[in-house]
Amino acid sequence: MRRFRILTVMGGLMLAALVVASTPVAGQAPRPGGTLNVMLREDLPQGFAIHETATISTVFPASPCFNNLVYFDPLKPVESPDTIIGELAEKWSWQDNYRNLIFFLRKDVKWHDGKPFTSKDVKFTFDMLREASDAPAKLRINPRKDWYANVEAIEAADAHTVVFRLKRPQPSLLTMLASGYTPIYAAHVPPASYRTGCIGTGPFKLKEWRKGEFVEFVKNPDYFVKGRPYLDGLRYVVIQERGTRTAALQAGQLDVAFPGETTKTTAEQLKKAVPQLVAAPVGTAVSDNIIMNVKKPPFDNVKVRLAVSYAIDRRGLIQAVHQGGAFLAGSLPSRPFGIWGLLEKDLTALPGYGKLEDMKARAKKVLAEAGITPQNPLRVEMVTRAIAIYVDMASFVINELKQVGIEATLKQIETAQWHAMATRGDYQIGANLTGLGVDDPDANFYENYGCASPRNYSQYCSEQVTTMIDQQSQELDPKKRLALVHAIQKRLEEDAARPILDYRLDYFTVWPHVKNMIPHHNIYNFGRMQEVWRDK
Amino acid sequence: MKTYVAQRLGIAVLTLLGMSVVIFVLLRLAPGDIVDILFSTAGFVDPGARTEIMRELGLDRPLWVQYLEWLRQILSGDLGKSYRYDLPAWEVIRPLIPVTVELAVLSTLIAVLLGVPTGVVSAVRQDTTLDYVLRVVSLAGLSMPSFWLGMVIILGLVAWLGWIPPMTYVRPTENFRLHAVQFLLPALAVGYRSSALIMRITRSSLLEVLREDYVRTAWAKGQRGRVVIWRHALKNAILPVVTVIGIEFAFLIGGLVVTETVFNLPGVARFLVQAILWRDYPIVQNLVMFIAIIVILSNLLVDLLYGVLDPRVRYGR
Repeated sequence: MRRFRILTVMGGLMLAALVVASTPVAGQAPRPGGTLNVMLREDLPQGFAIHETATISTVFPASPCFNNLVYFDPLKPVESPDTIIGELAEKWSWQDNYRNLIFFLRKDVKWHDGKPFTSKDVKFTFDMLREASDAPAKLRINPRKDWYANVEAIEAADAHTVVFRLKRPQPSLLTMLASGYTPIYAAHVPPASYRTGCIGTGPFKLKEWRKGEFVEFVKNPDYFVKGRPYLDGLRYVVIQERGTRTAALQAGQLDVAFPGETTKTTAEQLKKAVPQLVAAPVGTAVSDNIIMNVKKPPFDNVKVRLAVSYAIDRRGLIQAVHQGGAFLAGSLPSRPFGIWGLLEKDLTALPGYGKLEDMKARAKKVLAEAGITPQNPLRVEMVTRAIAIYVDMASFVINELKQVGIEATLKQIETAQWHAMATRGDYQIGANLTGLGVDDPDANFYENYGCASPRNYSQYCSEQVTTMIDQQSQELDPKKRLALVHAIQKRLEEDAARPILDYRLDYFTVWPHVKNMIPHHNIYNFGRMQEVWRDK
Repeated sequence: MKTYVAQRLGIAVLTLLGMSVVIFVLLRLAPGDIVDILFSTAGFVDPGARTEIMRELGLDRPLWVQYLEWLRQILSGDLGKSYRYDLPAWEVIRPLIPVTVELAVLSTLIAVLLGVPTGVVSAVRQDTTLDYVLRVVSLAGLSMPSFWLGMVIILGLVAWLGWIPPMTYVRPTENFRLHAVQFLLPALAVGYRSSALIMRITRSSLLEVLREDYVRTAWAKGQRGRVVIWRHALKNAILPVVTVIGIEFAFLIGGLVVTETVFNLPGVARFLVQAILWRDYPIVQNLVMFIAIIVILSNLLVDLLYGVLDPRVRYGR
C-alpha cells in the first residue's frame, strides 16, 4: 500500500516534470515552423475512419486532420468535464434541466476542400453514429453507437446552431463528445472515403499516406484558430519492430514516442542512453482484467469468480509484469490518473486488494464452499490474445490461480479471432485488456457492463447494477454522481463481474525540443497537435 | 534449347496453377477472416454488419467461384482490390517489389563477392591458419541469424555512434546516398550469411576438383597457379555454387521478412506477413504468386547457366 502511495506521488512529480519540460518557459514564445516526426507502431487500420475503429493506431495519427465540437484541453493532462474546450463549437449550453444541449458553431470554418462547415455536417455525423432511421449515410462498423443511445433527435436550427435533444438528462454526453473518437465528418464526403483519405477541418491537411511507410500532413493555412498550428508539418513514421522504433527515437530520427508504447523499463533504458530525453508516467486508461463467462459453469457461480479475484496478487502483478509501471484501481482509473476511480481506502476492502495471505485464504475458503478443494481441483482453459502484453499477464495469473487450487492452462488466441470469440462468449476464463475511449462512467459502464453490449465479454447482467448505472447517468449533482459511480464499482468488484487487476502506465517519451506535447491520462484524446511546436 | 525452355515454361505454368490452389485453400483454412479483423479493431462483433461486409467483399460466394474469379482477374491483368486499403491490389503491391528485389540482388552480390574468393583461398590454402580462420568466420555466418545481426548492427550503431540508417524508406530518386546507406547495412547482414554458405560450397567443390587428373596435368605442364585455379579448376567447381546462389536468391525474395522488419524497409516479405495477419486475401495471393514466379525463374536461369558453364550439359540436341 505504501508502495502504491509512493508511486502515486512519484507519478505526480514526474508528470509535473514532463509538463514543465514540454511547455515553454516564461517569456519563451512558441516558435512556428518545422516538421515533427512521430512514432507509429503499425500502418493505419481503416485509414482515417475514426468512427469505424477503436484503436489508438487509427485515432492518434488521424486526429490532426479533424476537429470535434468540443475537445479536451490539449495542455491539461487530466481530462474532466472542467477541461473541455470548444473546437467547432464556439460555446454551448445545457437547457431544460440537461435535456437539450445546444451548440453555437464557429462561422469561420472550412473543410480542407474549401467547402464551408455548417450545422448540416454535425447533424450528418451524429445521425449516422446513432443510426437514425433517416440518416443519409451508414458506417460499415459502428463501435460507439451505444454512446448516443440517449439522443432522441438532432436539429440543425440554423446553419450555425445545433440542438441535441435527449430522452433523459445525460451530463456525460458532453464528455463523450470531447473524446478523440468523436470527430465531425463532412456531410458532402462519403464516410467510406475516410478509409483512404481525409477531408477534415483540422489543423493539418493530409499530404500523403504511403502505405506501410508514413503518413504526412501539412499545415492547414485556412485553419480557423489564428496562428495555429505552429508546426509546418507532421510525419508519422511506421516502424513495426519495437526495438527499431526505440532505436529511432533514441537516435533522434523520431521526436515523439507513440502513446501507450513505452514501458517503464524501456523509458529507463532510453533515459540512461540519452539523459536529456523527457519521459514521465501517465495514465493510459487501459486496464488488465479477467473476463469470466458468467453464463457457463463454473463461472456462473459467483463464489468461483470471487475465488479468482481473491487469488490474484495485484501488487505482485504490477511489480513482476510491469516493473512497477501500473497502478491499482477499480473499473475506472483513480487519481491522479483519472477522476472517477475508487480511492485507496475503498479498494482495500474489495476482493483481491487486501493483505496477500488473507486474500489467498479467502480464495481457498470460497472455492471450498463451491466444492473445489486441492483433492478436487478446478481445471480450466485460460484464453488470451497471442500478444506478449497479454501472455505475460496471463502467465502470472495462471501461477496465482494454481496456488489456490485452480489449474489453468494457457490458450493463445490470434487477434483475428479474439473479439469474435469474446463477443460470442465462447470461452470460460480469459486474461484481457480494456481501453476506455474516455474517462467517463457512461462510456465505460454501458459498453463493458451493459446487459446487451457486445463488448460485455463476461455477459454479466445485473438488474440492480443496470438501474444504478442509469441513475448515475442522469444524476446532475456531481458529488452524488461520484458516490453512485463508486458504489457501482464496488458492486462490480464484489460480483467479480470483470475483476480489474491494474491500470497500465505509459512512460511517454519526447525530445526536449518538443513543446506543448502534453500526454493525457487517456491515450486517445491528445492527438490534435494544434499547440505543439519545435524549439529547434 | 528452345524446346527445353518451352517445356520448362510449360511445367512452370502448371506449377503456378497448383500453387494458386494451395495458396487459396490454405489461406481460407486459416481461422478468422478480414471481417473478424475489422471487428477486432472495433472491439466487438455485429452479426448484421458482418453479413453486409462479407457481401461487399464478395466473401459470401462459394469458394470455387472466388477462386475462379481470382484466376480470371490475373489473366485479365487485374489483381483485384486490397480489402484493408480499399485500393487496387497492384497499386499496393507495385512499390514493394523494387525494394525487395534490390535488397535481394545487393545481398546476393555481396554474398558472391565475399563467398567465392574466400572459398577459393580457403581451398587452396587448405589446413593452414588462414583456412581455419576463414572457416570459423563462415561458420559464424551460418550460425548467426541475419535478423539478429541486423538488430546488433542497428543497436550497435545507436549505442556507439548515436546514429542509425534512415528508418523511413528513401527512394533512390529522392537521395541516392541515403538510399545506398539504407540498403548497405541490411544487405551486409543478409549477404554475410549467404556468403558463408557460398564459401563452404566453393571450398568443398574446389577441393574435389583440385584432386582431378586434369588439374594435376595442368600443374605438370607448368601452368601458372592462378590460371590453373581460376580458369581450369574453378570453372568446373562453380556448378554447385551457381545452384546455391540461385536457390539463395529465390529464398531471399520471400525470406527477408525479419530483415525488412528490423531495418523498416517496405518490401514484399514484410508486407506479406502483415497481409496474412490482416487476411487481406487479394494481396497475399498475388504476393505469393509473385514469389513463386521468382523462384521458378531463378531455377530456370540456373539450369540454363549449367549449359553455358559446363560443355557436358547441353539442352535440346
